[in-house]
Amino acid sequence: MSTIVVGYDASDCARAALNTAIEVGKAFGDDVHVVVAYEVHRLGGEVADFAAALAERAQQIVKLATDQAAGLHAQIQTEIVEERAADALVDVADRLDARLIVVGSRGESPLRGALVGSTPHKLMQVAERPVLVVPA
Amino acid sequence: MEGLATATTSSGQPDQKGLKPNAISFISNVVIGVASTAPAYSLAAVLGFITLTGGVGFAGPAIMLVAFIPMLCIALAYNYMNRADPDCGTTFSWVTRAMGPSLGWMGGWAIVVADIIVMANLAQIAGVYSFQLFGLTSAAASTLDTTIVGIVWIIVMTWICWRGIELSARTQQFLLGMEFVTLVIFSVVALITVYVNHPVTLVGHTAYHSVEPQASWFNPFSIGLTPLINGMLLAVFIYWGWDTCVTVNEETEDAGRAPGRAAIVSTLMLVAIYLVVTTAAQAYGSPGLLSANANDIFAGGLAHSVLGSPLDKLMIIAVLSSASASTQTTILPTARTTFSMARQRAFPNALAHIHQRFQTPDVSTILMGALSILWYVGIVNVSSNVLGDSITAIGFAIAFYYGLTGYACAIYFRRELLKNAKNFFYIGVLPVLGGAILTGIFIKALIFYQNANNDLSKPILGIGTPVFIGIGSLLLGVVLMLIARIPYREYFSRKLEVADPAVLLDGYVTPATDGAGRS
Repeated sequence: MSTIVVGYDASDCARAALNTAIEVGKAFGDDVHVVVAYEVHRLGGEVADFAAALAERAQQIVKLATDQAAGLHAQIQTEIVEERAADALVDVADRLDARLIVVGSRGESPLRGALVGSTPHKLMQVAERPVLVVPA
Repeated sequence: MEGLATATTSSGQPDQKGLKPNAISFISNVVIGVASTAPAYSLAAVLGFITLTGGVGFAGPAIMLVAFIPMLCIALAYNYMNRADPDCGTTFSWVTRAMGPSLGWMGGWAIVVADIIVMANLAQIAGVYSFQLFGLTSAAASTLDTTIVGIVWIIVMTWICWRGIELSARTQQFLLGMEFVTLVIFSVVALITVYVNHPVTLVGHTAYHSVEPQASWFNPFSIGLTPLINGMLLAVFIYWGWDTCVTVNEETEDAGRAPGRAAIVSTLMLVAIYLVVTTAAQAYGSPGLLSANANDIFAGGLAHSVLGSPLDKLMIIAVLSSASASTQTTILPTARTTFSMARQRAFPNALAHIHQRFQTPDVSTILMGALSILWYVGIVNVSSNVLGDSITAIGFAIAFYYGLTGYACAIYFRRELLKNAKNFFYIGVLPVLGGAILTGIFIKALIFYQNANNDLSKPILGIGTPVFIGIGSLLLGVVLMLIARIPYREYFSRKLEVADPAVLLDGYVTPATDGAGRS
């Protein structure tokens, strides 16, 4: 058995991604490892309160992921990583030697994705393992 | 294995709490410091107004030099407060701890005020230079046209911050590199031309003769105290933002030494580029040309005359890219400050909201943008010289909160000051000196500018426009602060704190904040 790494931010497409990841996990008998990533931009002073607020939010998102999985009678592992989402997913997937990375997609156009930095878009470039993109 | 494995577990990674160490390289730190100060934009916005100040004449370079002294002192305060405050806060957090919630609140307010006012200035410069870039000279001179472009500029920049888009380190380095190279080319070409050709610049019917640089330009004693101080209030503005590279300290590689060196390198770069460009610009066109085009010293014919077409566009691009960097480093810290004040229950709770998807302080950011636009539209209608008056007004706010930070440093570390000479000098004497110089500038400039004869616009209610804006906004802050005491009683009853002596020991590691670790 191996691990399915899934990116999660409690949005609709992330919920869809987690559902799919759990399905795939069941099919392969793999663990499902949920990664909640956030990045604190250091530039801009008064970082502490902002960082603390983001950390709190990450905890809430983990809770939402656990609840969603419980609704499907599935158990998951969770991890909060302070890193840009795509980098965090690749790092965790490499560490766990995951079978697959699952992320949700908001259906942004390729141009828009490139301009504003879409996570699936970035993952395609940097991941060295299969990436499954789930539309919302 | 059948079914699904294990319950929620922690990952095997070692805890990595608080700030990410080694996240920012030495060069990035220098780039952050210099880019936040935005040299090309600062020069474009301020240089003309400095030479326009009565009695300054050729002493622009001297003012640049002297104005740096208080900034250096305050940077020391930033450095030590930053070491002490594990939260990596700024003036609001620090002053609240050292001097109490009322002054802390006012420090935060001054940051907000300065940043909202500077947005009008940035927007105006962006408007004028955008039109100049495409050679639309008549549009660049139209208040309505530049205001519209300025508003669009503020909206776009606010959107970028709200959306959480950040330029990559490499893009920033490229833009800053281009900005620097352009400024250097401009200066070198201008100076060589001055020595070789003795150019005369014709604008309309006025001829501006070039002047070879003289040692007296760098001598602050060549002019009286009054023009020196009035010029310094403006010059404080051009160094504003430099403290950023001191506050990103903790994450620099080799945190013990690199940040200090990065601060020194960026300092030297800034002082050098300001001196060189100021000298070159006034040698080429004499202070007369700079004063005549105070609103847009490069776009108003100087860059074209020095560099010729199409190279002069480089200068305009440099100013625009510099202004955009400056807008980012304006909106971000202000939104963070109001966010922080809201989270510490000193401001309305709504400002502590974070956008679900972009993970940015969205309400604070949008409010900043909206207030900036309101302010911009308001001042365009009131002041006949938006740029000059707003810079003077910002000078008051900057002098106020930088000064507070200087005093806060000595007060916060008061028990450490007498332990050795180094502490006494670097943590006590110099920050207080910086605070005292800024206080002096604040008071002297207040007396000078409240006399409307010394201002660029007609007075408001009999008070000079810059003073009306600068002091009026701080007084409004006092009123709001007194009102805020009622709902935010808990914040306003916070006790004073004093620095932990361990902070100054060698090998001290800033304690991590909770929550940033792994679950």
